[in-house]
Amino acid sequence: MILELIAIGLVISAFLAVILDEAVYSVASLAITLVLVAILYSLNDANFAAVFQLGISVGTLAVLFLSGETLSEKTNQKKPLRKALPATIVAILLSVPSLLISVSIPSGNISSDVSFPEALWNLRAVDIILQGLVIMTVALGIVIVLQTKKERNK
Amino acid sequence: MINYVVLSMTLLAIGIYGLLTRRHILKILISIELIATAASMNFILLAPSLNRAMGETFLILAFSTDTCVTGVVLALLIIVARKYGTADIRKLAELEWREEVGEEKGHSEASEGDD
Repeated sequence: MILELIAIGLVISAFLAVILDEAVYSVASLAITLVLVAILYSLNDANFAAVFQLGISVGTLAVLFLSGETLSEKTNQKKPLRKALPATIVAILLSVPSLLISVSIPSGNISSDVSFPEALWNLRAVDIILQGLVIMTVALGIVIVLQTKKERNK
Repeated sequence: MINYVVLSMTLLAIGIYGLLTRRHILKILISIELIATAASMNFILLAPSLNRAMGETFLILAFSTDTCVTGVVLALLIIVARKYGTADIRKLAELEWREEVGEEKGHSEASEGDD
């Protein structure tokens, strides 16, 4: 029962994140989505993934909250949450197929005796490439910031 | 019993809907996040039928690329919003079009002046 409730909550919060006009409410809704995904992982015995999901979502959401505040147009009147109730009803209807439809998943022939640390060690080459990608992204971010400052000073 | 494939497809559909209908750049980024979450959910929720540890490992590796994408998009988003003063993609497209037309007009006026 709890899995079904999480699935419905997941679809509702994801739909509200897209539908709501106010950027901060959208980000709050996305936060609920990501936390529910982490709970879903945890209930499926993937505790490492749940912890990583929570950690990454905290960072992403902090940045998204800040950018939401920066980018939202400064007006005194708040946008009403008129869309929230119809959107919730639509989202509940959207979550029904995941509870009713059944799709059979073929089971693979890969042996499942590999532990998580072993799997991580076997994929270390991919890990190094991805770490390089992260470092390149940080470098790109610094270049963009410096370039913008240079243009402003001209 | 939940069907995770359908749940993931629903999240993907919501993300694509947001990507196609929303105009605010932050909403588009949120839609991209939803699409990435829908895709990465499959690693864990379908992993028991193949290999749980591999699914978890791939998910953690997928997180790093997802975070990179979010970082780059956010940096571009803030720079564009600061430069043009709006976060609406249609207005941004209009501004770009006006700039292009303005440049073309400037070129044609300059060439007429030379004649």
